[in-house]
Amino acid sequence: MTSTTRSTAATLRAAIAEATSNRAAFAFQATVMILNDLAWVGFWVIFFHKTGTVKGWNTSEVLLLQAVLTGAGGLTLGFLANSRHLSKLISDGALDSALALPVHPLAFLLVRRFDTTAVGDVLFGTSLFLIAGHPSVERTIVFVGGTIVATVLLTSFLVFVGSLTFFTGRSDGADMGFNSILVLSGYPVDLFGGSSKFFLYTIVPAAFVATVPARLIQHFDIKSATEMLMVTTLFVIAAVFTFRLGLRRYASGSVWTRA
Amino acid sequence: MSAVAGVLRASWVTLSTSSRHSSVQRGGLFVKALFYAMVFSIIASLWRAAAAANGGSVAGYSARQLMWYIAMSEAVTISMNSRLLADVGTDIVSGAVSVEMLRPRSVLAQRVLREIGRVQPGLLVCTLTGMAVSWIVVGPPISFSALALSFPSLVLAVTCNIAGHHLFASLAFWLRETGATWFIYQKFVFMLGGMLLPLEVLPSWLRQFALLTPFPSMAYIPARLGSGHVEPWLLVVQLGWLAALLAAAAIGFRAGERRLQVVGG
Repeated sequence: MTSTTRSTAATLRAAIAEATSNRAAFAFQATVMILNDLAWVGFWVIFFHKTGTVKGWNTSEVLLLQAVLTGAGGLTLGFLANSRHLSKLISDGALDSALALPVHPLAFLLVRRFDTTAVGDVLFGTSLFLIAGHPSVERTIVFVGGTIVATVLLTSFLVFVGSLTFFTGRSDGADMGFNSILVLSGYPVDLFGGSSKFFLYTIVPAAFVATVPARLIQHFDIKSATEMLMVTTLFVIAAVFTFRLGLRRYASGSVWTRA
Repeated sequence: MSAVAGVLRASWVTLSTSSRHSSVQRGGLFVKALFYAMVFSIIASLWRAAAAANGGSVAGYSARQLMWYIAMSEAVTISMNSRLLADVGTDIVSGAVSVEMLRPRSVLAQRVLREIGRVQPGLLVCTLTGMAVSWIVVGPPISFSALALSFPSLVLAVTCNIAGHHLFASLAFWLRETGATWFIYQKFVFMLGGMLLPLEVLPSWLRQFALLTPFPSMAYIPARLGSGHVEPWLLVVQLGWLAALLAAAAIGFRAGERRLQVVGG
């Protein structure tokens, strides 16, 4: 195990211990998040009950999409919670504490904060798959693999748009990117037309966060899986490269403890 | 008489100042309009696809009506600060609200007026964007009379929503936490308020229940009017709920302010 892996694991353990120290609050927040996710399921059930199949999607397929999205969203926004706050930390000049440590600053920053509410998302996504996803060995493997790759892609996208704050100085763009990918991922990509579809497969890769993994669970095909892996790899490279390049332009705001 | 005039003048200054402050932030308005256009196009696409798959209409709404419905329901919700409830709650929990209690004015009135002013430029931009897109994509409004009724309804809807945010935020005086309350409130507006779907789509029992709550006044009513239904009495319903929400929020804040304890500063 490398020193970076060891230090990252230790930081994550400490972040989880810190966030879950108040057990009652932790359980309450996770429960609320499950109720929040249930409302979305309620929406889709009502929608398809009224409309039937729409553009090849029905209730069970959209529930699979929701299972992957809540699972990947929960892992990203829970275990790597700073991926969402990176732009704010950069614009406030609040990275000092991470930069002073003998570890990779991006890895440290990502695991430094743990959001307890997202645990509810992970539990909900897993339960939804087990209840409504007709789990078999093959489908479970694709669900787990697809959720992990979607988590990496979502995190990379958030780090990429967050790191652009080094160059723009403002966090509005990153906020917009965050809201866009989460909102767009929640709907089947087949609802959209040609140019919008292109946008969702490339610039804001929302299609690969939930629609493609959900389709792969239904009907696995190597071409879509390879495309998803390639896009994810590209966004990982873009995220790390942009963060490293942007770090050279970082200006401290003398805010020491917020990372 | 002069005291009343003073209160009115102070209220107008608060409202107009926050509105001007919000309107000069062009970048923020542009981002809001862009985000509105994106969400509007997604949900409108969903409902238009649903209508196309169901012989051209869903729950009595044609594809054209659904587009105009979503234009209005999204305009009233996206123009709001969606985290207002959490922000007010944070100020209560941190004790920041205590500074406002030193002023010779109601904390709630000051905050509600400021927020009403702040939301107007965004509401205008989102509504105009939604109307332009709907007009281009599906054609003109179904009824210009109904559309005219929807304009005051939009303002009443955001005002009801602001009052609702403050009512639920006042729970922070007792609960010391608003994250969970915010999630629950937001989902009430989404589902019972008719933001994502017309209430006619809901099962009968849920629709009846929704109509007994204040949430339809926050999204469904302006959207129903904007989608071509000439039902002016809906404005009276909104006014009634606005009065009830403001009264309940005032009771919540008054009781909460009495028990607020702030340590340090």
